[in-house]
Amino acid sequence: MIEKYKFSSLKSILFFGATLLIQNLAFAQASMESVFKQGNSAYNKAEYQKAISLYEQTLKMGQISAELYYNLGNAYYKLNNIAESIYYFEKAKQLDPNDEDIIINSNFAKNMTIDAIEKLPESQIVTFQKKIYGIFNFSYWSYLTVILFWIFSGLFLVYVFIKSASLKQTFFFIALGILIFFMISFLITYSIEEKEKNTNFAILFSNQKDIWSEPNQQAELLFSLHEGTKVEVLDILENWKKIRIANGSEGWIENASLRYLNNDIFR
Amino acid sequence: MLKFLKLYFFSFFVILTFNLQAQVSFDAKVSKKRLGLNERLRIDFEMNENGDNFNPPLFKNFQIISGPQQAVSRSWVNGVQSFSKTYTYFLTPRSKGNFTIGQAEVTINGEIYKTSPIEIEVTNAVKKPNDPNNVEGQIDGNIHLVAEVSNPNPYLNEGITIIYKLYFRNPISVSDVSELETPSYGDFWSHLIKIGRAEINMRGTFKGESYNEVVWRKAVLYPQKSGNLILEPLTLDLTLSLPSNRRDLFGRRILTQSQKTITTGEKVIKVKDLPKKNKPENFSGAVGKFDFDLILNKNTLKASESFQAKIKVRGKGNLNLFNLPSINVPNTLEVYEPEHNEKVKVTLSGIQGTVEDSYTIVPQFQGKYPIPSIEFIYFDPKLEAYKTLFSQELIVDVYDGPTSGLPSVNSGLSKSKNSIVPNDSSFRFIKLDTKLQQKNQKIFWRSYLFWALLFIPIVLIITSILIKKYILNQTEDLTIRKQKRAQQLAKKYLSSAKKVIQDQAKFYEALERALHNYLKAKLKIETTELSKSKIQKLLNDKGIDKQISSEYVEVIENCERARYAPGSSINTKEDLEKSGELISKIDRQI
Repeated sequence: MIEKYKFSSLKSILFFGATLLIQNLAFAQASMESVFKQGNSAYNKAEYQKAISLYEQTLKMGQISAELYYNLGNAYYKLNNIAESIYYFEKAKQLDPNDEDIIINSNFAKNMTIDAIEKLPESQIVTFQKKIYGIFNFSYWSYLTVILFWIFSGLFLVYVFIKSASLKQTFFFIALGILIFFMISFLITYSIEEKEKNTNFAILFSNQKDIWSEPNQQAELLFSLHEGTKVEVLDILENWKKIRIANGSEGWIENASLRYLNNDIFR
Repeated sequence: MLKFLKLYFFSFFVILTFNLQAQVSFDAKVSKKRLGLNERLRIDFEMNENGDNFNPPLFKNFQIISGPQQAVSRSWVNGVQSFSKTYTYFLTPRSKGNFTIGQAEVTINGEIYKTSPIEIEVTNAVKKPNDPNNVEGQIDGNIHLVAEVSNPNPYLNEGITIIYKLYFRNPISVSDVSELETPSYGDFWSHLIKIGRAEINMRGTFKGESYNEVVWRKAVLYPQKSGNLILEPLTLDLTLSLPSNRRDLFGRRILTQSQKTITTGEKVIKVKDLPKKNKPENFSGAVGKFDFDLILNKNTLKASESFQAKIKVRGKGNLNLFNLPSINVPNTLEVYEPEHNEKVKVTLSGIQGTVEDSYTIVPQFQGKYPIPSIEFIYFDPKLEAYKTLFSQELIVDVYDGPTSGLPSVNSGLSKSKNSIVPNDSSFRFIKLDTKLQQKNQKIFWRSYLFWALLFIPIVLIITSILIKKYILNQTEDLTIRKQKRAQQLAKKYLSSAKKVIQDQAKFYEALERALHNYLKAKLKIETTELSKSKIQKLLNDKGIDKQISSEYVEVIENCERARYAPGSSINTKEDLEKSGELISKIDRQI
């Protein structure tokens, strides 16, 4: 009897705690959105530093959104902090790759960098692939995968139970088509995830850095990069990092201050 | 005899003079054949016909102090022309010993003449070279040519000044000076500072004694090489006047003119290399003391207008001997080759002034362009340290024009005032609304929920297939059973008729009853009265084929006919089978 009572009280505490937590989260979200709004008004008054601290307060609470990153990028742009500005625009693009405002302002920020790095021309397959991948964002792709599978299952059940032979045939083929779409969607979602997990993009925050052909100073000096350059980190050896830039050049950089563009969705 | 002798003498002289007239002579004469190490040797090469291609011997073991000095004299005495041309060298021996001065060559009238070699003996230095009463001696103590170097041990590229001063004192006075040898400053960047007129400073001092001082030349030098650099000597040929012992009518001493060659001698400047320690990588090579600045002529402009960025170095040092750092701007700016300007003055204290590179820059797109700070490193020889100067970071704001990365909106000529350009070419404002999400929330992809949602339909499909199979089996059983039951029913009802198949009347009575009973049981009719039309109607209502129902009624009619009018044409067996068939058919259809 006593034990039972104890158990029930524990349960109620747990329940209470859970509701509190959920409430807290919801509350945090709401309050953070008001902080975001405060940041916006600070930005509009040209108090960019204040806006930044408000936005970053939101970030510190673990709350993110493409708009938040975008506004941070704008504020840093106004303060002429190239690297930060580019960094946050890139983060915004990760969450919302097709937003026009983000693309335009990100170009403004890229204009400020010293190096103009010409992108390697993409093969048609790659552009096509990117187009396909970019139709939905990642979470929509995963929802789509599940939805397609449900549609397929429904159609298959109809196929199983229907009596008319001709309808049976049409339902069978429709179900088969949906199954193929499901598989494509599954593979796309999977490959997006793999791609995001296996590429390590970062923004260079150091003012100016030399890139060497080997991870030592005796090697040949290849070129130098300035802050705000987006690099892909390929390898790490002690305090040297092997990087690749958009035009395909690779090299080693020493003691660089790099900030990784880890996708918030995956890590 | 005497007469003969006279004749002889006369003829001898005639021949001699003739010989003198005709014979070419080319001789070397030395002032002395034996001299001390610190004494000088004068050597004259004299010829009595004008010759070309004079080729002096190699004065091995001797150093040429001055020369060659060329002197030509031509005279007519009693109608006889005499000519002499002399090349004179002043030498000092380099070491002790017996030396031979080699042959000099000259081409006279197409023939090569040579002097005979001369043996010279060089002994230990004599205490007082030459006679102090001699004019030379008087000169030597009282006239000096000095090269004053401001810093004999400078750094590479550190400016030094060199001042050549001539000191002389009583009783000498200088009446004419000519430069015999001018240093060329091979390993230096040099600049001579002009001196309008040589002025005599009566109050100069040299080695603590008072002298008259003349600044002959000033030069600013920047060594371009490290190591021991040799400054070539400056040699002056002076015409001096100095009093002799003789006096004129009024008791004044008579001045005698004397030639004197005077040299500074070689000077060695030890040039230090710039310290390797802490030497910055992109050291410009500038040595001195400088200010550095980067100046823009405007900060805000329209795209496709131009602005100027000036990199300016001001100060003292080797200003025109190093390259200015180059500007580093975002690549979307079009930068033209810089225009180099030097406003430099060379004074005794070195090069002073301003050097600047002026870049013309044209932005192509709108936006903000940072111009990062440029570093300029120079070496300060006074502090013996490298100094780094940074220009301030500047921002150029380009406010009108196409945006990079987007197709340029070029309205061309028809650009009216206040035309509203499509908005996609300007910097966008922040976004005002957002929907925040938790940063590290679990993603749906490959979550348990995701897999569950994929498995549920699979389970559903499998179970439904199983269920379907089961239900279908059941329904099949039902029909078979129904059929069987119908057959059984038919058998049961018809069994009584079958028993009496031999007796026609009884058989048909039993068959009719059986058929009626079946219908009653099947259609749940209580009344005993069943007309044939009613039966047909009831059967039709139950959804039984008209043919079957009419056949059923026909069989009943047959039974009645056979009961009341027993005929020959009656097949009892056939009727039994037919009624059995009909019953099972009806049963199946209901």
